[in-house]
Amino acid sequence: MSTRGAKADRRFAWWLVWLYPPAFRRDVGLGLVDALDDRMRARRANGVSAFGVRLPAVADTLRNAPIEWLAAIPEFSPVESGFSRTRGGRTVIDTLMQDVRYALRLWRRRPMFAFVAILTLALGIGANTAMFSIVNTVLLRPLPYPHAERLVNVWGRTPAFPRGLLSYLEYDEIRKSGVVEVMGLFFPQSVNLTGVDEPQRLIGTFASGSFFDVLGLKPERGRFFTDEESAPGTVKPLVVITHQTWQRRFNGDPAAIGATMTLNGVPLTVIGVIAPTFDPDSVPTDSYFLGADVFIPAAQFPAPRGLPAAGPVMLGVARLKAGTTVARATSDLDVIRRRLEAAGAAPTATASASFVGQAGRTLEAEPVLEAAIGTSRPALLLLLASVGVVLLIACVNVSQLLLARAVDREKEIALRAALGASRGAVVRQLILEAGLLAIAGSAAGIVLGRWALMGLEWLKPASVSIPANRPLDVRMLLFTGGVALLTATICGLAPALRTARPDLGRVLRAGTRRETGTGRRTRDALMVVEMALSMALVAVSVLLIQSLMAVQRVPLGFDSSSVFTLQFRLPQSKYPKPEDIAHFFKSAIDNVRAIPGVESAALVRAVPFSGNGGTVGYAVEGRPAPDPAAAPQARFHLVTPDYFKTLKIPLLKGRDFTDRDDLQTPLVSVINESFARQAWPGEDPIGKRFTTPQTHGPVTVIGVVGDTKHYTATEPAVAQLYAAHYQVPLIFSSLVARTRGPEMAITAQVRKAIGAVDKDQPVWAVRSLESQVEATQGSTRFLAALLGIFAAVALLLAGVGIYGVTSYGVAQQTHEIGIRLALGASGDRVLRDVVGRGARLTVIAVVIGLVGAVAMGRLASALLFGVTPIDPTALAGAAVVLGAVSLAACYIPARRASRVDPVVALGQE
Amino acid sequence: MALRPVEFHILLALAAEERHGYALLQEVASLTDGELQLEPGTLYRALHRMLKDGWVAESARRPAADQDDERRRYYRLTPAGRRVASAEAERLWRLVSIARAHRLLSRA
Repeated sequence: MSTRGAKADRRFAWWLVWLYPPAFRRDVGLGLVDALDDRMRARRANGVSAFGVRLPAVADTLRNAPIEWLAAIPEFSPVESGFSRTRGGRTVIDTLMQDVRYALRLWRRRPMFAFVAILTLALGIGANTAMFSIVNTVLLRPLPYPHAERLVNVWGRTPAFPRGLLSYLEYDEIRKSGVVEVMGLFFPQSVNLTGVDEPQRLIGTFASGSFFDVLGLKPERGRFFTDEESAPGTVKPLVVITHQTWQRRFNGDPAAIGATMTLNGVPLTVIGVIAPTFDPDSVPTDSYFLGADVFIPAAQFPAPRGLPAAGPVMLGVARLKAGTTVARATSDLDVIRRRLEAAGAAPTATASASFVGQAGRTLEAEPVLEAAIGTSRPALLLLLASVGVVLLIACVNVSQLLLARAVDREKEIALRAALGASRGAVVRQLILEAGLLAIAGSAAGIVLGRWALMGLEWLKPASVSIPANRPLDVRMLLFTGGVALLTATICGLAPALRTARPDLGRVLRAGTRRETGTGRRTRDALMVVEMALSMALVAVSVLLIQSLMAVQRVPLGFDSSSVFTLQFRLPQSKYPKPEDIAHFFKSAIDNVRAIPGVESAALVRAVPFSGNGGTVGYAVEGRPAPDPAAAPQARFHLVTPDYFKTLKIPLLKGRDFTDRDDLQTPLVSVINESFARQAWPGEDPIGKRFTTPQTHGPVTVIGVVGDTKHYTATEPAVAQLYAAHYQVPLIFSSLVARTRGPEMAITAQVRKAIGAVDKDQPVWAVRSLESQVEATQGSTRFLAALLGIFAAVALLLAGVGIYGVTSYGVAQQTHEIGIRLALGASGDRVLRDVVGRGARLTVIAVVIGLVGAVAMGRLASALLFGVTPIDPTALAGAAVVLGAVSLAACYIPARRASRVDPVVALGQE
Repeated sequence: MALRPVEFHILLALAAEERHGYALLQEVASLTDGELQLEPGTLYRALHRMLKDGWVAESARRPAADQDDERRRYYRLTPAGRRVASAEAERLWRLVSIARAHRLLSRA
């Protein structure tokens, strides 16, 4: 054992003992230093590490020193009072510590007061800080890119598709024009990784070289590909990977640069790794821009003939010049569009054959922040408003508590003043007490906030992309703590303000415990405020729950139970001809149908509630062609035979597709009821024909099926058309299979069945249809649960507040009640009076609460389905709940009042 | 009133002879076959209480010069402490007798 270590141990022991109170140190401090030192020495001699030697000593001190400090708080003694004026020889710290001790003694004398006040503050602060930490991540700084506020999506807007794609020509023209600072082109699409043990699907992004500049990305290793290397026609087999992919696939090996990854059947050389300049957790859920594993030059976009120059197939993103507005950028973009059109290079002119519906096309810039958070904004704002309400109620409650105590303190303070305490000393003491309350409340709030975040992580459904694993937001903690401190200070100072010119005689005379009318009115008003606020919260939670139940009742048009689903994308290079794709489809379905337990199976391009899907304009044969901009629209589905049977979508008329509806036979289609009604009202649609740009040549209607919901349960019924997948074989498709047993039990066999057709074909999104439908409601349910929790907390706080105020009022009136009882009033009469007073306040609160509830309901209206913000059931329900809580909170003290013993009550004064 | 176990153990450890703090820790451990491993802070908080109550006192006497460690503080049992310890022992004895009468103890 080294001498130096031993000396350090002894010094360490000294430091530890220094944490004990002075009196303790004086009495046994030296002995304790020795014992700690001896213990550490013995442990060290046993070969324990320096850390292992000291940790038990620290733990020992942390366990025992605080207890000694608590024991050291002297009992109340006038000599050592916090209002003592004598400062001779004492430092400011001494005085402060004395004030702190005084405050702590008061807490010890009134533990319930301290407990309720601190818990109330902690609930308000904890909930707010936790929720703000999340909202801040999602809403306020959702994009971890430099100058994210200047990033815009550039859309090719058509009347049918407000957020349409861009062509390479448009991109090139915008880039050269200098309208924006940097412009990039990209399109995320899954890619198949082969040449590894098990084929896998990665998320790829096909991008122009400028894409990296727009987002301000830097290579961590190697380089990015350039704009020239990604231009149409240049086929450079390059790939850039993210830091995560580099770690996961290459274990962070520098040799990854120059390695080969076979993506979509094409070997690509890894040339660079994107530096992880941001926290991946803070990327919003839909993983805007960077939710990909690999970045591939746009030129290799898997369109049948490579990346077209004029066809709109890509997404545009740009960084505006500093100082430019979005409106300005949009009008500049319009100039470019007109120039392109004049030159005959716009998609409207050049690509009309394959890309119809481009009439009326404009270019438009939209802030990325707007697009990224748009959908979650109402929910998050509602949550933020709710926690704000909880904080308000918490502050009101603490004000109540402090104001009620102020009357009690008045006498004590007048006494202090009479004994010579200066006004400053009194104020200092009161501020300090308020500050201690706020600090203790904030500390407890941090703990509650951390628990709340952990609870959220546990509570939230997988489909909800709220990053709950965020640290608490320090600024918000400071803000809420500050609000609490301010409230506590203002209300805590009340007794000092009231005793500005203390009428010592009046205050000290025993009979002055009754408060003034003003004080009472203030507290009544505060009580009404907190009741009204909690009523608003309760009403909104009821609205959301009603809305959830309404959604549950909506018929989907198909049966989601016992349906297995998965997705796959065939590599274009491996399946260049439609016949190849159709062959894969047929073989895969045949294999899956052969699996025992599979009742029926089919392919569909977009499974309902998967988020996939598309829309086309159509024209009915024999009628004048409509203006393309105003062409009627229908949802476009590609399905194989048996799809309707598999999902139990009712076939109302005509027939289903058969295997004979293939590439050799005339195009056929099944439509839904809404389509039939929209296109051929009052006529039999079977045998009628129409055209769409997706299907070359006229399409004959062979059947009519029921309407189904596709994206959400709450969408209105729209025209849908189903084309035969074998007649339009596209490389992306999904399998649906109805099973007799549990649907997920066939997973391994399905994988094998598809592997038997092509061993290199990866599949993903393997899940039950039921779970996909459920997932679309997960976020609403989560939101309703959260609001329910807030409403419950608000009610609890309001209940505690009402109880406290009423109890206090009753205590104040004990004397008066005693007189009334002595004069013959019955106990019931007293009870009725007290409860009646609470009831009157409750009625006022309900009226104000109704207004608040409607206001909050409007904030929530975007989230509601099947109910309006002024739903009478919800409002009445909330009023009843509030009334019940309020009456219960009044009843307990009222009963106590009715049982006052007149003799005791009168003897009190 | 029952004594706190920590205090009783310290009194027992001091019954035979005066000890300094660390020796007390070791003695308590050996008296309980290692079951009670006091940490220094716990020991000294108890000592502090018992010093104030007058059950133990700092010893003025020192052991033989060759074993003495100059900086050490030794503690001894006061007559009051001895009385407290034996009262506690009596109390425990009565409890043990009751337990034995109800055949809760296998040993005689």
